[in-house]
Amino acid sequence: MLSRIRRNINIFSVVSIVAAALIVIPMLNILIEIFNEPTPAWQHIRQNLLTNYIINTTILIGFVAVFSALIGVFGATMVTRYEFKGRRLLSWFLMLPLAMPSYIAAYAYADMVSYTGSLARMFRWLNIPLVINVMNMPGAIFIFTLTLFPYVYMLTRGALSKQSAAFSENARLLGAGKVRTFIRVVLPLLRPALVAGTLLVVLETLNDYGVVAYFNVRVFSFAIFNAFENLGDTPAAIRLSGVLMVMVFIIIAIERFIRGKRRYSMHVKGRPLPRVALKGWQRFILPSLLWVIMVLAFFLPLAQLFYYATLTFTSVFTLSFVYLTINSLTLAVSATLITVLIALMLANYNRGSQNRFKKGLLKVTNLGYAIPGAVIAIAVMIFFIDIDHVLYPIYQFINPNSPRLVLSSTLVMLTFAFVLRFMAIGYNSIEASYDKIGDTFTEASYVLNTSKVKTLLKVDIPLIKHGLISAAIIVFIDVIKELPLTLILRPTNYNTLATEVFRYAREEMLQESAVPALVLILVSSVLIYVLTHYKKKGVPINVR
Amino acid sequence: MYVRIEDLYFGYTKNTHVLHNVSFAMQEGEIVAILGSSGSGKSTLLRLLSGLEMPSKGRIEVNEETLCSANTFVECEKRHVGMVFQDYALFPHMDVIKNIAFGLKHLSKDAKKGRVQAMLKLINMEEKSHAFPHELSGGQQQRIALARALAPSPDILLLDEPFSNLDEDLKTKIRHELRSIMKKTAMTAIFVTHDYDDALDIADRICYLEDGRIVHEEVIKRS
Repeated sequence: MLSRIRRNINIFSVVSIVAAALIVIPMLNILIEIFNEPTPAWQHIRQNLLTNYIINTTILIGFVAVFSALIGVFGATMVTRYEFKGRRLLSWFLMLPLAMPSYIAAYAYADMVSYTGSLARMFRWLNIPLVINVMNMPGAIFIFTLTLFPYVYMLTRGALSKQSAAFSENARLLGAGKVRTFIRVVLPLLRPALVAGTLLVVLETLNDYGVVAYFNVRVFSFAIFNAFENLGDTPAAIRLSGVLMVMVFIIIAIERFIRGKRRYSMHVKGRPLPRVALKGWQRFILPSLLWVIMVLAFFLPLAQLFYYATLTFTSVFTLSFVYLTINSLTLAVSATLITVLIALMLANYNRGSQNRFKKGLLKVTNLGYAIPGAVIAIAVMIFFIDIDHVLYPIYQFINPNSPRLVLSSTLVMLTFAFVLRFMAIGYNSIEASYDKIGDTFTEASYVLNTSKVKTLLKVDIPLIKHGLISAAIIVFIDVIKELPLTLILRPTNYNTLATEVFRYAREEMLQESAVPALVLILVSSVLIYVLTHYKKKGVPINVR
Repeated sequence: MYVRIEDLYFGYTKNTHVLHNVSFAMQEGEIVAILGSSGSGKSTLLRLLSGLEMPSKGRIEVNEETLCSANTFVECEKRHVGMVFQDYALFPHMDVIKNIAFGLKHLSKDAKKGRVQAMLKLINMEEKSHAFPHELSGGQQQRIALARALAPSPDILLLDEPFSNLDEDLKTKIRHELRSIMKKTAMTAIFVTHDYDDALDIADRICYLEDGRIVHEEVIKRS
């Protein structure tokens, strides 16, 4: 037994186990707090507000999920199944709204439709008696749908382009028309990708604070921030977090229950369905719908931001702006590198394993993405304050005048929280790459007496380079856009592009928020371009 | 003749032909094997018969109906053609009953149920009616795929390399089963294979396909 454990100790297992422990401890803190004596603020929230939070949150995620799924599947079907002018361009353009943080789209739209806004003025000029108010629940649904549907689009497009034509052809031969074939066969086979994409949309919606705070939509993340910042009642915020976590797990459990023992994939040889050229009215109407979505989701708010940036550039683009851009970039780079490195270790530790301990460990380390940023922020903060208390004698030994809180007032805490939250994103991309190459190359290296670390550096990393770069890009974009975690955990007076956009918006200086918002969007857009155009060269096929 | 194929040509590009001037005819209830090596065009022939591809030239008639000619092309869902794919392509999200009932949407609920039961009895798999495809062995999956294709009573059954996924031991048993099921239902069938033993065990006649041309025909005499 002892020798077996000793044999399994290596850099991958040690990093994986330590990472899992560091992730699970802060979460346990939240669970333990739920069983403590409730505070008066919690009593007030539970009696007067909680039902409302639950109803509002359910309405928001319900509508956003349905609309995002519809747009995502529509876009994916169009670019994978049909041929039309501009298809290649739209194929990657439809990913671009991921570069537009929801809160920035919300600020831009709120401004555009306000009385003095560009859209409202245009309506008046055209004599269209239309007054739009987006700062409400339907507005929030609109913003989240437009900025988050690419998650569904990205995953369903991947699944559709791999789906064997044999299923659809079989359905047609059994007498099913095109619509029935799509509804009864193509769509159900997309279910894993559709559910995964929609779940990401739901989790991102639950994570948001910027939109709901600005639109005053009273959902959970709003309530958690309110309890934490305005009421100063951390235990109440933790209890709200607990309820939200339970809601997330109920959603996941319901999906698993409905799925039952059904499977949605079987190894069937054959090419995917060839693309069919659109004919007649469809040739104009259907691609136009996609362009309208693109304009609403990306180009319209972008144009508004560009216009404001020209007005405020000279006053905003100062030395302090350069510093906060550097802050954002260095923070995102360091969090990305650490996340990808740990994800790589985890992926190595779990490769080809059916071991329950390893699988459990993996679930724990990938939990972060399912937990909204505000919840993680509070959990991590309590954890770091506890660590500071434990380490205080050491701080005093080094410096007798040391403050009590050292780690919890530095970027270490924020970086840790980013790693915890985005680990699943990095891991999934790397795991998919490992699945593609199989285990044989690595095993060939091991039997040639090459160490695990050397094999990782000389064999694995060159083979999964594409997956590593994808992982890094996705994590980087997520970190640089992230708002709730950064707002709670950043050291005093430490600002990033995201917090600067939020600050300007809160102070109703929307024109000034345009420059930092544009830098965020442009950096993310360039990375999305790289992600969608990076060619896989020399990646071997799976030889398992 | 029940099936008549005349001067069939097909190519993926204008100047290259996968099939050249393929012509043959079949009687009702006859089982014909198209035997050829990979790349000879045998699967393409099935795709043309089923309507999944359109020939560049030629005529296909089944049961006195023109499915394809210079000015006719009947869409695949309207051809009354059953097909068993090489990998069976059973719908993984549907259980056995739903897979078999998929092509029976024109029947009432009771008639559908009766037909599915009859098919399960025919292939001797009543006990697996609620299983999902991933819970079945290769041989069982093949029988379900056959039942699904036979359930709507097609005019003709097409089988694309039906044994390519089966072990050698299982193959011999299933070959005989397959022939007996097709003969029981008096089904007119064309199956393509690269294995002479498959053709010999199942077919009434073998057409040899080489480079997209039928080069020889052999009638199998059974005692």
